Amino acid sequence: MTVAISRTTAEQTLTRQFEAVAGQLPGDAAIGEARKAAIGTFAALGLPHRRVEEWKYTDLRHAIKEALPPALAGDAGASRQDIDRALEGLAGLDAYRVVFVDGRYCAELSDVAAAAGLRIGALAAALPRSEGLVATVWPGQEAVLALNTAFMTDGALARVADGAKLAKPLLLVFARASKQPSLITTRNIVHVGAGARATLIEAYVTLPEAAAGQTNTLSEVVLGDAAEVVHVKVTLEGDGATHLASWMTRLGAQTSYRAFHLTAATALVRNSLFAIFQGEGSKVDISGAFLGRAAEHIDTTLVVDHAVPGCESRELFKGVLADRARGVFQGKVIVRPDAQKTDGKQMAQVLMLSEDAEFDSKPELEIHADDVVCGHGSTAAEIDADLLFYLRARGIPLGVARAMLIESFVGEALDKIEDEAVRAGLTQIALSRLAGLSA
Amino acid sequence: MLEIKNLHVKLADEDKPILRGVSLQLPKGEVHAVMGPNGSGKSTLAYVLAGRDGYEVTDGDILWEGQSILDMEPDERAAKGVFLAFQYPMEIPGVGTFTFLRTAVNSVRKKRGLQEFTTPEFMKRIRQTAGRLGVSEEMLKRPLNVGFSGGEKKRMEILQMAMLEPTLCVLDETDSGLDIDAVRVVSEGVNALRAQDRAMLVITHYQRLLNYIVPDKVHVMADGRIARSGGKELALELEKSGYAGFKGKAA
Repeated sequence: MTVAISRTTAEQTLTRQFEAVAGQLPGDAAIGEARKAAIGTFAALGLPHRRVEEWKYTDLRHAIKEALPPALAGDAGASRQDIDRALEGLAGLDAYRVVFVDGRYCAELSDVAAAAGLRIGALAAALPRSEGLVATVWPGQEAVLALNTAFMTDGALARVADGAKLAKPLLLVFARASKQPSLITTRNIVHVGAGARATLIEAYVTLPEAAAGQTNTLSEVVLGDAAEVVHVKVTLEGDGATHLASWMTRLGAQTSYRAFHLTAATALVRNSLFAIFQGEGSKVDISGAFLGRAAEHIDTTLVVDHAVPGCESRELFKGVLADRARGVFQGKVIVRPDAQKTDGKQMAQVLMLSEDAEFDSKPELEIHADDVVCGHGSTAAEIDADLLFYLRARGIPLGVARAMLIESFVGEALDKIEDEAVRAGLTQIALSRLAGLSA
Repeated sequence: MLEIKNLHVKLADEDKPILRGVSLQLPKGEVHAVMGPNGSGKSTLAYVLAGRDGYEVTDGDILWEGQSILDMEPDERAAKGVFLAFQYPMEIPGVGTFTFLRTAVNSVRKKRGLQEFTTPEFMKRIRQTAGRLGVSEEMLKRPLNVGFSGGEKKRMEILQMAMLEPTLCVLDETDSGLDIDAVRVVSEGVNALRAQDRAMLVITHYQRLLNYIVPDKVHVMADGRIARSGGKELALELEKSGYAGFKGKAA
């Protein structure tokens, strides 16, 4: 039996748009070939839809009705003040700042003074040397990754030397400035050498006057043995924006990787995270907070692959959902047959501020070893009426009491961020968004 | 003065009455004890005074300083001077004790038309009171009641009471789960707050607490009503004879 594949308008437009812009995308002939192969893969797969297991709750074929034209030139109008305003609580962070405007590196807005042990460049400049394309096997993620390969315009290419301890966080800002709705596709490749220490922050923001659009971003991070990495992502793309992010992290032996996602004020978000242990004795903590209002849809899907023995993984995601917002959490922990002494714990908790909000949670443990400690849990609850009464009986007005309880709920996730300045910045962003949620 | 008039209360989602005509008068400057067996409605009375959801007043009224408080929200009652010391104080992870106390105190001060305390002012005041109640600085830094022992939680309740400067204090089973030393510390804290412009309603199952907080009057509750009222000697009588007689009479 042959099944006729019917493609949606958006899917057809994506393929057509690739043909139109292929000549203007960076990279040599080999990159061009890789892009062509990728768009072929996408044409065969189409956008992920609800019958693809990994996309059961986030049907992109249904959600993406229109494919926006790829952004090809950076908007010259962006100013440092615009960027700072969009960065909110992170604007004041003392960091090596690298800014991409509409998917292109912007030297004037970036601030990377000579940093010992850090080499950083724009991916677009490096692509002619055929660097930066990694064959990735990631079930369910193929179509989104193929689109990234086909359309990527730029991103950060960073290397932290063995043993180097970065003095400041590396703050990658992806700002949308164009007044025309567009597709922005970026890729970051970060290598952190053996024994090195780095904090990497990605912030996805839309500048005040800009139009919301579609984003497809991929970050590949490789940790050498005994490297310590903090990897933070803040997603605030605005009403009407669609944001697809894929993170792939490979961990050497004895590493520490602490990731945190703060997601708010974006119409549709899918954060896909994949971390694989490739050396023994490593520790991973992937946590986050998501705050949804109106009809926002925020999906966190993560896969932690314990491919070697003796590693530890922790995940804690906390969501607050108001109005008709929908949260999705899919957390898969794989423990391979050899991965004895694995210690994995996962928790997803949501506070429902409205009866019309929805939370779909799908924890999955795939355990092939016998000497492991693994657990997961998931809760969805309203604000606790007894706690609320206790605060009000002490004279605290209803609105303030609710805000205190919501803040304390989210605070437990934010406390996972160990760096005080980074935590303060993210807390400030979260609190201002929460004020909008509980009002 | 607190006037409870023929108060009838049931759970909002059940028909069974819990309070069946409670009447009681508590003037300022006095301490009254409400004693009674389990299930007599003592805790319900405490919750209804503080304005907790889930109860329905089907008849009667509660007047505080001549004004009905039944339609007031819990925080409005707190601003009016009503304070309930909980039998089981809530643990609130993520809310620092100090922040909570400052928010509460400044909320009621604002509603009472008083100047809010600055942080240094508040720190100074809380240190004095906390020290007296054996509440350490370290406890003030911790999330509210999280990991506190039974005695620490009750001392924290009394600290809150002292800081909020209420005029009507309702203490619900404040002695439950405390050893004798803790009962003494908590009682001293309560006695220090006895004042001419303050009324106190001490709800307890056992007479023990009343050795330390000596009441002006004792009311015995049974089956949703005040079955008997008398002087402090009534508590001693109950200690000997128990509640058996009241249960029988009420049923």
